[in-house]
Amino acid sequence: MTNMGKGKPFLEVLASAIHEDFRFPFLELFAFFYALGTFVFASFTVGLSSQITTNEAIAYSVTNSLISGSLIVFILLILKNVAYGLGNDLEKGIIQTYFSYPLRRRGILTAKLLSAIGVSLLLFLGIQISALYILAPDIVFPHLGTVILTYAASLSYPLLISAIMLLLTLKLRRGGIGLVVGIVLYVAMNIASGIAFFVAVSTKSPLAFQILSVISPTYALQYHYGGLSGISDIFSVPWIPTLSETLLYTGASYGIVASLFILAYVYFSRRLNL
Amino acid sequence: MSLIVAEGLSKRYGRVVAVDNLNLSLEEGSVTGLIGPNGAGKTTTIKMILGLLKPDKGWVKVFGQDPWDNTAIRSMVGVVYEKAFFPAHQKTLEYLRRVCRIFGVSESRAMEVLEMVDLQEASDREIRALSAGMLQKFAIAHALVHSPKLIVADEMTANLDPQARSELLEIVLQLHKDENVAFLLSSHILPELSMVCDSVAIINRGKVWAFGKLTELYEKYAVGIIRISTDRSYELEAEIKKLNYVKESDSDIRGISVRVVEGKEDELYEDVPRLAKKIKAKILGIETGSASLQELYRLAITAKERK
Repeated sequence: MTNMGKGKPFLEVLASAIHEDFRFPFLELFAFFYALGTFVFASFTVGLSSQITTNEAIAYSVTNSLISGSLIVFILLILKNVAYGLGNDLEKGIIQTYFSYPLRRRGILTAKLLSAIGVSLLLFLGIQISALYILAPDIVFPHLGTVILTYAASLSYPLLISAIMLLLTLKLRRGGIGLVVGIVLYVAMNIASGIAFFVAVSTKSPLAFQILSVISPTYALQYHYGGLSGISDIFSVPWIPTLSETLLYTGASYGIVASLFILAYVYFSRRLNL
Repeated sequence: MSLIVAEGLSKRYGRVVAVDNLNLSLEEGSVTGLIGPNGAGKTTTIKMILGLLKPDKGWVKVFGQDPWDNTAIRSMVGVVYEKAFFPAHQKTLEYLRRVCRIFGVSESRAMEVLEMVDLQEASDREIRALSAGMLQKFAIAHALVHSPKLIVADEMTANLDPQARSELLEIVLQLHKDENVAFLLSSHILPELSMVCDSVAIINRGKVWAFGKLTELYEKYAVGIIRISTDRSYELEAEIKKLNYVKESDSDIRGISVRVVEGKEDELYEDVPRLAKKIKAKILGIETGSASLQELYRLAITAKERK
């Protein structure tokens, strides 16, 4: 009989998930794309942001330009890890293998999500913070609140996509449909923002943007700091949300994201039949 | 002590009843076969035992506890699935060491279990590079890491060649003998189960149709059975059925199983050659009470259907 001590099931399942999600060459490839997106787009938009005059708005513009270049890479990595990684684990039966270990279901899901989303987020933020430090320390560091709010607002929609994809993947026990829905949602948001802009301009009402900001508060933040550079001067959108309103939109969007993740946890822990 | 007790276990998939009011118990140190055709409800039953599926009705206790999301049970149970799946890009020994750390056992156990299933030479190989037989052996090694008291295996030999099958069954016997590990083995390949099982549960249409020690079941269903091997089973059975002392009969392509009124066995031995001559059938052999597990299974199902 083997002597059994206290095991480390959570850390080992997490390590195993990271090993699979970020095996060669995924980690190297995505880190490269993150760096490329961050640095190339940063130098491009620092020029654009010179049209904005207040220091806070400049800090927002610089941070936003850094984010926009590599946010798509972050979304792609999450799509891969949740739909392909977790979906495959459910479809093929690796989750059943994990269910033979002395770790609660919620622990297994946490380990999988920390690997799929947490590590991707750390990688994204790590490269972003390095870029901010290298490229524009004097502009962004005096306005850390603005920088953090910009990241929070920008990341809420990708996290919403992840939560929806996660629910679909768990319900269908395969990642394919979750992956398609994730891509569609990403594209749909870009289309929706375009439609919202024209609706807002033609009706002279910010309602479309207000609705959109509940699921993607980056729009509220954008208009708080003066709207789209150049375009807003030509087509006036009658909306300048206050900082409190912007914070409220960001909080609401994270509320939705958190609710969906809680739903996924409840489903995985109490209802998921394999 | 009962390791597994299930009472009134039921599970539906939409309109399909997969398991219907199933009762089962498994004693410490036993090797129990869960036998039945494809779609009989074996895998669903095993999934409920392992806490992967919630029963719609009834309950199951493993080591006296509800298996759903129960970490205490997992330290006492090893699992082998029909198709084993592990993180594919990790090396066998490396992954088993991880499993050792998960269960809090010494990492040296990883090599021990690999040696037990004769996979030590594949210790540096990635899991995805293992053949089907090696993967099943690896699954057994994986199930043994924490020295479980019970191993639940669902069709573990289904995708293997005869050589790999017999090697796996050897391992089962060895573990049972050396470490008193109890097994619940589901399979539809009956001859191999008869080699290792001391008890069987015959499951059909989601219900346990017969359950007990093999010796008891043979006594209940196969005593008084005379097996006639012939080249014209169906024609000869039709003739045999006409004999007034024949209680029941059943035939397949290789022969006929006949149960007669007690004390009439000798008469059947005399009548069979006469009837065979009449229809020009060849008699290849007549034996009493030599039912295989396959025949036992068929007899139990037939007896239940008649009821």
